Amino acid sequence: MQNNNQKKVAIELININKSYQKGSNKVVVHDNFNLSIAKGEFVALMGPSGLGKSTLLNLIGGLDLPTSGSVIIDNQRIDTLSEGKLSTWRAENIGFVFQSHHLLPVLTAQGNVELPLLLTALNSKQRKQHASLALRLVGMEERAKHLPKELSGGQEQRVAIARAIVSDPKIILCDEPTGNLDRKTADEILTLLTTLNKYFGKTIVMVTHDLRASEYASRVINLEKYIHDSKQNQLSAVEVNS
Amino acid sequence: MVQLINRSLAKVKQAMGLATINLKSFPHRAIASSVSILSIACVAAVILSVLAMTQGMVKTLEKTGLDDTLIVMRAGAISELQSVMFPAEVNILANHAQVLKNNDNQAMVSAEMFVNAQMLYLDKAGETHIEKLALRGISKGTYRFRPHFKMAAGVKFKTGIRQVIIGQAIARKIPELTVGSTITLGGAQWFVSGIFSDNNSVFESELWADIGMIQSDYQRGNTIQSVRLALKKNTDITALNKEWQDDPRLNLRIMYEKQFFASQAEDLTRLIRWVGFPVAFIMALGAMVAALNTMYATIASRSKEIATHKAIGFSGVAICFSILFEALLIALVGGLLGILPLYFIFDGWTASTQDANNLSQMLFNFELTVGLMMQTLLFSISIGLLGGILPAIKAMSLPVTVALRDN
Ligand SMILES: Nc1ncnc2c1ncn2[C@@H]1O[C@H](COP(=O)(O)OP(=O)(O)O)[C@@H](O)[C@H]1O
Ligand SMILES: [Mg+2]
Repeated sequence: MQNNNQKKVAIELININKSYQKGSNKVVVHDNFNLSIAKGEFVALMGPSGLGKSTLLNLIGGLDLPTSGSVIIDNQRIDTLSEGKLSTWRAENIGFVFQSHHLLPVLTAQGNVELPLLLTALNSKQRKQHASLALRLVGMEERAKHLPKELSGGQEQRVAIARAIVSDPKIILCDEPTGNLDRKTADEILTLLTTLNKYFGKTIVMVTHDLRASEYASRVINLEKYIHDSKQNQLSAVEVNS
Repeated sequence: MVQLINRSLAKVKQAMGLATINLKSFPHRAIASSVSILSIACVAAVILSVLAMTQGMVKTLEKTGLDDTLIVMRAGAISELQSVMFPAEVNILANHAQVLKNNDNQAMVSAEMFVNAQMLYLDKAGETHIEKLALRGISKGTYRFRPHFKMAAGVKFKTGIRQVIIGQAIARKIPELTVGSTITLGGAQWFVSGIFSDNNSVFESELWADIGMIQSDYQRGNTIQSVRLALKKNTDITALNKEWQDDPRLNLRIMYEKQFFASQAEDLTRLIRWVGFPVAFIMALGAMVAALNTMYATIASRSKEIATHKAIGFSGVAICFSILFEALLIALVGGLLGILPLYFIFDGWTASTQDANNLSQMLFNFELTVGLMMQTLLFSISIGLLGGILPAIKAMSLPVTVALRDN
């Protein structure tokens, strides 16, 4: 039973402390934070800005390291990996989607989506095929030859999603992916993410302010409340013990 | 081991991929990079000019002088100009058993006189021009010591009258001087009887005339300045030198002609390098700082892009190399921009310099060899790489999370 449960866990943050040194001040962003996300979950992470949502995504994706605590993805501890190993691991396991698409302006949609495949063993023909497939998945196959500046905001975000999924990572991390989009386009993107979650089994963690995210996500975490509740639980646990 | 190679290959592939993308976006940044491109171009141009100039000079001077020939001057004289010798001395030298004799049983000796002369000539408009030139008085025996000497036009001067022949380098520089024209030397009119060539040696920058005429026109009595001697093959030069140094009637400086011109070439190249290379070095430092600045600016403006690459999974090393690649590209463009115009404009150009010793002009060609151009290009590339290292390291350690913030 225990074993079975462990297999299903995709992401585990254990006793995370994260603080920044700002001049002589220490800014504590996370204090003894714990979170567990199962495989196949689509988690919407909500809450006011400055609470540390992006920091959590960066920790999960290995872009940032905790001050203390452990980050375990797929039963592998990643916060102790070397810089080089971490980037290889990231290339294989994580797809990022940001609020701004961060597509390279000089590359076509196709070129942008092919980029992560440079980190794989695929040859150039295979890279083309994989990228085309990813573009088809997000409904952008007809715009493959277009440069980012020739696309609308929603289309750019679709290409960015194609880039995130092209090397078939198990986990997709989205930081306010619909923050720059109008309602209709935002709905399209959220639907696309839902599809990736439901039909392709991707575990998705999405930071968002979008109140309608709950209609798409399988679990909504209100970070402020979540932190508050877990503090209470810890306190009562301490009281029970003493 | 295989794994290590595979991993290295993967890194190379990453770096190449990023480099290709850099290449695509480079034209957009070319304007921003133009300051460093131009400064590297200037450095390349200066360095190549210095190299080509010295190379051309060395080539010219190296062609001058025969292997079996001794040049003899007054002891202590650095150049022919400062030397004075008397006919009695010449006789002692010429009668030595080790000196070669010609078919008429006469010693193969060339007595020469060297004057730093002012030449006046008229241009087509009838205006008078003054040029400082080397005027050499030569004797019949002199031609033996100039195996490459050829009349390019006209005929040799006649002895006993005021006739000169002029070196081809001068004729090229001053088109007014042709066979049959008249020039003024030492206040008297001289007739140009011909133009000679000498395999591009330094002599092509001289005027030659009868030594007797020059001795009288320039009030030198019967003194001469230098003597050239052809030696028998088996001559022990050290012994000969000792014999003449010990002779109380002689007070002379003896050296191989080749050596003499080689040491002059050395002096001249040293002079040019002492002036040229410090200038080039300071400019190179400037260019390096410019490249450094450009690359820092590039990284600042592309920090989001670099961070995105990292988020995708590109390694810091690959990113570092892609920045170095860009610095290299800037240096390459700059280097070529400095070198190619020189190549198209200056190759084969004649430059002139004041000879440090005899203060007359020496004309020589720029020698733009492929080797020198490669040397310059390599130097330019090193400037770029040196300027790119710090920015590349900075890019490698760029904090991704900060760069990716949207606000
Ligand atoms: N590199 C950093 N240096 C200093 N402070 C930082 C850094 N990154 C984030 N922070 C601080 O951490 C807190 C959480 O930031 P973030 O995770 O971006 O919040 P959110 O995404 O919830 O708006 C903020 O107060 C922010 O100022
Ligand atoms: Mg955020």
